[in-house]
Amino acid sequence: MIIDWYTIIFQIINFLILVFLLRKFLYGPIVKMMEERERKIIEREEEAEAFKKEAEEEVEAYSRKNVELEQQKEEIMDKARSAAEEEKNELLNEARSEVDQTRRRWEEALEREKESFIVELRRRISLQACSLARHCLEDLADARLEELIWKHFMTKVDELAEEDRRELEKGLKDDQYKLNLLSAFDADDSKIKDLKKRLEEIYPDSAEELELKYKKDSELICGLEIEAGGYRVSWNIDSYLEGMESDILKELNQTGSEEEDGEEPAVDQSEDS
Amino acid sequence: MTINPDEIILFQMGWFKINATIFYTWLIIIFMTLGSWLVTRKMTSEGPLSRWQNLFEVVIEVINKQIREVSRQDPGPYLPFVGTLFLYIAISNILAIVPGYVPPTGSLSTTAALAISVFIAVPAFGIAARGVAKYFKQYLQPTFFMLPFNIIGELSRTLALAVRLYGNVMSGTVIVAILITITPLIFPIVMQVLGLLTGLIQAYIFAILAMVYIASASRVQQEMEQKREQQ
Repeated sequence: MIIDWYTIIFQIINFLILVFLLRKFLYGPIVKMMEERERKIIEREEEAEAFKKEAEEEVEAYSRKNVELEQQKEEIMDKARSAAEEEKNELLNEARSEVDQTRRRWEEALEREKESFIVELRRRISLQACSLARHCLEDLADARLEELIWKHFMTKVDELAEEDRRELEKGLKDDQYKLNLLSAFDADDSKIKDLKKRLEEIYPDSAEELELKYKKDSELICGLEIEAGGYRVSWNIDSYLEGMESDILKELNQTGSEEEDGEEPAVDQSEDS
Repeated sequence: MTINPDEIILFQMGWFKINATIFYTWLIIIFMTLGSWLVTRKMTSEGPLSRWQNLFEVVIEVINKQIREVSRQDPGPYLPFVGTLFLYIAISNILAIVPGYVPPTGSLSTTAALAISVFIAVPAFGIAARGVAKYFKQYLQPTFFMLPFNIIGELSRTLALAVRLYGNVMSGTVIVAILITITPLIFPIVMQVLGLLTGLIQAYIFAILAMVYIASASRVQQEMEQKREQQ
């Protein structure tokens, strides 16, 4: 008999035991493990998907931010550019005005220098002219001229105005009737006496007390002078020369200002035309 | 020369006897259980897999895939039964290359035991899936008169399962035995290689047929699809 029922039953039991054992040790754990792995992979994929999404959002946010920054940069650059332009213009204007001022100052300085030069020139010219006249007179001064001067001085003393006389008298009283005579030449005694006599005639009240003191003074150019108590009566060329000097200066100033007045209209005319 | 391993008695005490079929079956059970336990106790669900775990997972995945293709259902409930059928037959056939080993599948008792297991499993799975009434109603399809033929068909396919496996494995062993007497060198090796191939194919055929029978008994999904179409 090929079929042994005893063995068959044994084998069925054996097979069932094997099914049970393999189910416990093989299928169960492996299937569980595979499912677990599958779940984990899915979880990881979902996680990765989430991360990717997050990253994409981040990238989008960053690119948006980048664009904003770019715009801001552009704005700032524009502002900076316009500010620089303004600054440049301001600086240019400043520089221009400064240059103008400097030029004006320079021109003014030049003008002043010119003027002072002209003034100095005028002064020199007048001084030179006067000293020329003075030299001439000094060279020409001799006895005859002295005579003439004396004579002229005498007449001047004689013809003193009432007011001047009173002033002189007052000066005499202040100085205890001491009268100083200053002359550029060596004066004769007779002439001094003559002068004294004349003065005594003018002031008869104080004739006795009157005292004439002679002193030579070469500063007085061919002139004579009496002085008492700060009041003086004099004749000399120096006074004439001083007058002449002031006349010459006046004349030169006038011509100078005329020159300046004459220049400006000429410039205006050229500009107008 | 003994063809039937049932007749090789290794131990006997009264009615209780251990023959080669039972002994080698136990060896296979121990071997498979121990191997499974050694591999699955160190399993991880992440990181690099051990080679054995990888191999086992591939095997289980292939079995699952086959079950899914045949049944068009979730392989979960069928895996332990069908998978064990395949693995047990395959291993007991492959081990035939070990000298001194007698494959238990070469015994008609073993194959009959497996066929009887399938014979019982088919209605068990069918009833579990569709309920008792619906399951037994199919024996009356298409008419009441078909009942005897249905029953005969059920029995005959069980017999066919048993004999097919037995014949193939036993013949392989017998052929090798005969060839050794004729040409002791080289040629038996070629036949043994062929035996490994046929052993695997038989394991596959047995498991697939069992699955087909079970699936045909528990076509819940297909029925539901038909109902949906009718609606």
